[in-house]
Order: sequence, then C-alpha cells, then structure tokens
Amino acid sequence: MSSTINHLHHHHRIDGQISPLTSSCPHLADFRSRNGAKPFRALQDCLRVKPPGGRAGIRREPSEVPRCAACGDSSPSRLYACVACAAVFCHAPSGGPSHASAHAASMPLGGHEIAVDVDRAELFCCACRDQIYDRDFDAAVVLSAIAVQSSGNPENMRKRRRVDYRPWSPDVRERLLMDNGSSVLDCEIDRPRGLRGLNNLGNTCFMNSVLQALLHTPPLRDYFLSDRHNRYYCQLKNAATTGRIGSGVGGGGKRNGGNGVKLCLACDVDAMFSAVFSGDRKPYSPAKFLYSWWQHASDLASYDQQDAHEFFISMLDGIHENVERDRGKPPSPGHGDCCIAHRVFSGILRSDVMCMACGFTSTTYDPCVDISLDLEPHQVTAHGKTSAKSHPSSNSEANGFSSTQIPTTSTLIGCLDRFTRPERLGSDQKFFCQQCQVSQESLKQMSIRKLPLVSCFHIKRFEHSHTRKMSRKVDRYLQFPFSLDMAPYLSSSILRSRFGNRVFSFEGDDGDDVAANEMSSEFELFAVVTHSGKLDAGHYVTYLRLSNQWYKCDDAWITRVNENVVRAAQGYMMFYVQKMLYYRASAQVCPS
Amino acid sequence: MSGPNEDDNGKLVKFVSFWLCIKQLSSQLFGNLLNSIIADVASECHRIAKLGLDRNLEEEEEELKLSAEARASVADVAAETNGKYVMDIFGQTHPPVANDVFDCMNCGRSVAAGRFAPHLEKCMGKGRKARKATRNSTAN
Repeated sequence: MSSTINHLHHHHRIDGQISPLTSSCPHLADFRSRNGAKPFRALQDCLRVKPPGGRAGIRREPSEVPRCAACGDSSPSRLYACVACAAVFCHAPSGGPSHASAHAASMPLGGHEIAVDVDRAELFCCACRDQIYDRDFDAAVVLSAIAVQSSGNPENMRKRRRVDYRPWSPDVRERLLMDNGSSVLDCEIDRPRGLRGLNNLGNTCFMNSVLQALLHTPPLRDYFLSDRHNRYYCQLKNAATTGRIGSGVGGGGKRNGGNGVKLCLACDVDAMFSAVFSGDRKPYSPAKFLYSWWQHASDLASYDQQDAHEFFISMLDGIHENVERDRGKPPSPGHGDCCIAHRVFSGILRSDVMCMACGFTSTTYDPCVDISLDLEPHQVTAHGKTSAKSHPSSNSEANGFSSTQIPTTSTLIGCLDRFTRPERLGSDQKFFCQQCQVSQESLKQMSIRKLPLVSCFHIKRFEHSHTRKMSRKVDRYLQFPFSLDMAPYLSSSILRSRFGNRVFSFEGDDGDDVAANEMSSEFELFAVVTHSGKLDAGHYVTYLRLSNQWYKCDDAWITRVNENVVRAAQGYMMFYVQKMLYYRASAQVCPS
Repeated sequence: MSGPNEDDNGKLVKFVSFWLCIKQLSSQLFGNLLNSIIADVASECHRIAKLGLDRNLEEEEEELKLSAEARASVADVAAETNGKYVMDIFGQTHPPVANDVFDCMNCGRSVAAGRFAPHLEKCMGKGRKARKATRNSTAN
C-alpha cells in the first residue's frame, strides 16, 4: 500500500541537472554560441555576495542607484542589466511595459536578449520573458562567493577507491558446496523466516527489542547467515592465538569467558542468528549473549532496566572491539572497513562553522553510527518551564513562556530539518576564525556527508539531569514516515542551498561518496523500537516489517499487527534501510 | 475672505498636501519593498522548481495523512501492552515469566530463563547489591 507512493517520486526528480533546460531557451543557446567557451567569465568580477553567507548580486558602489535607462525609474522590483551592453532596464513594473524586452527587440542583429537581475544575480531572457538557468553562470556566481570562504580539503578525508561491481552466480562446484553445507529453511508465507520470540531474562526487554531489530537488519542478517563470521572457526583461531602468546594475555579476565574461550560478541551474535533462523519457533533465550555482553560492558552489567539506545551503541562497540584487526592500513573512520557493525551503521556527519564577520568556513567530518534527534521544544510543563534545552536561536521559548504556540504534530522530517538547519552560536560560544584571527560569532550547520546502509534514528525521549529525580520522559507522539528520502539532508544539498541552489559541484573530487549518496538516498522503514510507560518502569517492544507485513515482538510474544498500529506507536528508535543497493559500474539496481 | 483666516487656510492646505504626499510616498515605499520581497520568493521558488530541487511534498503529506488516520483508527493504544496472555502467531502461549531451564555458563547451576539476569548479576559479582554484599564481607 505505502510502496506505491515512492514510484512517482523516484522518476520525477531531475535533481539539479539543467542540460535539458539550456536547450529550452534558444536565445541562451544563441548567446552561448556567439560568446565562446566561457561566456560568463567576465561577469564573475561584477558579482559580490554581501553580507557573508548572503545573496549574490551585481556589485555596485554604496551610493550608486541603478535606474532603468529608458524610464529612469529606480523603484521596480526587478532591474535587469543586459549582458551584452551592460545597460540596465526595468521589466514590467506593476504589470506595465517591459523596457528590458523592448531593448532586446530593438537590436536588429539580436544578441541582447540575455540579462542579469541586478539584485539577485539570476539570468533572464528578455525575449522569452522568463528566468533561465545556466551551469557556467551559476559556477561564476558560486566562485565569486567562495573565493573568501573555502578552508581547503579537511585532513581527515581520504579519497576512496570504489570497488567495481562484478555479477556473480555459483559454478557447479560452488553450488555443490552450498547444497551440502546448508539446509533449506521451510518458509511459509505468513510465518516468515527468522521470526522468533526472545525470552525476557529479567528486565531485559531493552536488550530483546534491539536484538529483534538487528536480527532483521538486512545487511547484518545477510552477513551472518552467509557465514561471514563463523563462530567455530573464530574460536579455534582465538584458542590457537592465545595458546601461542600465552594465557591471560589481551585483557585478562575480560578476554577469557570463564573457560579459556576468548570473548567475541560477534560469535554470540552468529549463534543467535543460527538459532533464530533455525525454524524452531519456541522463544529463544539470549543468555549466552547477555553473559558475553556483561563482560564487555561491565559498567552496564546489572539487573536494572537499561536504555535500549545505550545498549545498541554498546553492542556495536562490542562487535567492533572483538573483531580481528585487519592486517595492513588502519581503517578509515566512517567507511566501515573495520567490522560489520560499522559497515552497516556507520555514516559520516559534516559540520560547517562559518564566521559571521568574514564568511570563512571551517569544516570537520565525524563518523556516527546513528543520529540522535531532539524533539521540538514547544511543550510547557506545569511549572511553566519549557521542556528540553532551549536553542540559542529560539526567542520567546527561552524565557519560559510562549503564548503563540500552535500545537502541530512533531515529525521525524521536522527533527531532521532542525538537525540540519543553520544554528547561530551565541556570543558566549564564539569560535576562533582562522581568517580574522579572533573569536567571532558563528553559524553552525550539520549535514550528512555519507549515508550508512542502515540509518538508525534515536529520539531523545529521556532527559537526565544531574540528580536522578529530575529525569523525565517525553511521551509526545512523533510522526515517522514508512518511506524516507534523505537527499535534502546530504552535504551536497545543504551546501547547494547555502549558495542559493546554484548548479555547482560543491564536493569537488570527493565525488565518490556524493554519487553514491544521490543514488541511494531513499530509505525504507523496517523496524521500530517503542517504549511505553514511565521512565523507570517502562517496557520496550519492537515492530518488524517482513514481507510487507508488520509484526509486534514483545519479548516472547510475536503477533501480527496492522500497519496503523505501527504508525500510531510512540517511536524511540527507528531503523531505515537503503531501498536499493546501487552498484555504479553496472547501474543495475537490486532490491535489498 | 481676507486677513488672518486666509493665512491659516493657506497653511492648512499646505500642511494637508504635504501630509498626503508623505502618505503617498510611504505607501509607495512599502509597495516597492513588498514587490521586492515577492520577487525574491518567486525567483527562488522558480529556480527550485525548474531545477527539480523541490522536496516531494506530496509524499510527505501523504505520510502525515496516513499517520493521522492511523492514530484515529487505533482506538486503544494501551491495549498493546496487555500482551502476556495472548497466543502468538505460531499458536503458542507463554507464561509471564519464562520458565525454560538451562545451565548458567558462569557457575554451572540450573536457572530458569526469566530469573537468569538477577542470578547472573550475583553470580558474576556485578550490580549494586552484589557489590554491597562483598563490601560487607571484606569489612569483616
């Protein structure tokens, strides 16, 4: 039902490609053919952006007032400078005649049809009477703006070589191996594979809920079911290593799981996948896993109810830590070379800090395994204080009382919009600007440089302060879509909109990630972890989507539910997977 | 009429026409500013639309609508949390506290699944209670 929405969108997007559009204005094509390879190069020196981060326009003296050469009027909202002769004309003020069009028509040999909006640096065709777009012109505008701003390539970005796609199917020998080494699982349509309850071992629903989501995370599931981490082989290898170096090496008690066996969380995960996908439908007890996890995360090891998100991070960390280090160069952060946990969940966030005095922008990249989002701070509690931390940029809310609140539904898209919007760093958070050589007020903006295969969104519903008494849970409903397009939050999109949506390749030669992103920015929801009840006495439940049917996983109890139940649920962690896994070389898409 | 009244009238006329002129100018100024702002927005939206950069608002609105309908139709959200006495999709029922028994991998004792975590906590010496117990014993 919900999948039909997506097809329309996918084929609709032109996505900033304007080659079909330059041909739509014959006068522009004519102008380009008359004016050589770089028709707008001369204009670049006439453009200026003021103030830093503002809009581009034609440069002029502070006292200079552009006027229409025909009527002398300086007040029209649109004044155009002819690119050929630099004369300025107005265009249809208050619906009146267009002196710009008259100028174009008055030239018997043509060539004066193209003009530039004096205030907005937009091209205009006076003959077609419409705004037009040109890649070279946009490049000139952007270059005039970033002459000041660039901070060069950040050091912590390494260019990646893309692996070529090679299609594969098993040969006779491989097929024989596969048939002999595995057993086909019987699969009924209404009882999908891998659907199995997890016993609550005592306040462990926080763990069960995340495990259910991970057991059905497609790339993770495929990895373990393809025997990419064979627990028997791994333990044998570890036993051999420990034997060679000597017992007790590698962290002592932490590494030895009690009986000389090396601790490897990935092995326990492998065992769990085997058990859950075995076809046995009796609820599984993840006891060994709990035991291993408590050894890895000893400060979280207690009978108390825990936070599911904290467990999620700890588990990924555990898989990462215990995986054998790859020989050779150190893994580059954010690209998931190190372990399957990062290969699946790791993305890269970009942070830009722009000095508001000179426009100089400093960029850093950081890997992340999920995105934690704040709910909008619009509720007012009984004590009259606003919930959540106040944004530096918010005005009335910060003072504790807001009389102009319109109660609208919070949405995941809204949270992502806020996550990537430019945020003014207040005067108490001045940033040292390399160009000005002083601390200046700045504007900070986040964006996503590289999307992970699986995006986990964590909603910050639990607010903890210093004293436990002040912790509270935010129960407010958050709408989340079943299909999510992450394109507006990519660094390429954010940068582009920062420069007025000009057509320009902002990420330069780091194009690999960018190209990959643009093809695979569409995500599909497959798991939702929900929390119900109070902060300290709550319950976690996971909803899973298998074969387009939703199931509720409440510890040992698996039931089928209507998708409406999921839409209406109080989401705490939402898991989205890339809809298509895209291989650049072949341009073939295969559904995940 | 002549005398002081004529002067007053003259001044009044001058004042009123001056005032009307100001009104007209400020009205024009406001109109120009407004036109300029409208042209700004139109230009930006035109660019976004022509270059295909607009977000698929139809999709987003569709999702919002589906969520609103879902919330309205799901009458009793609290009913979700009753789950302990239902039959699952495989036709099984389970006790509220899992009673599968297996051996503890730390000490070897038989433990019921639903009580494994509290057992393991003491068995491994983790958690607040266990730490308190050891403190007491070492104090002696």
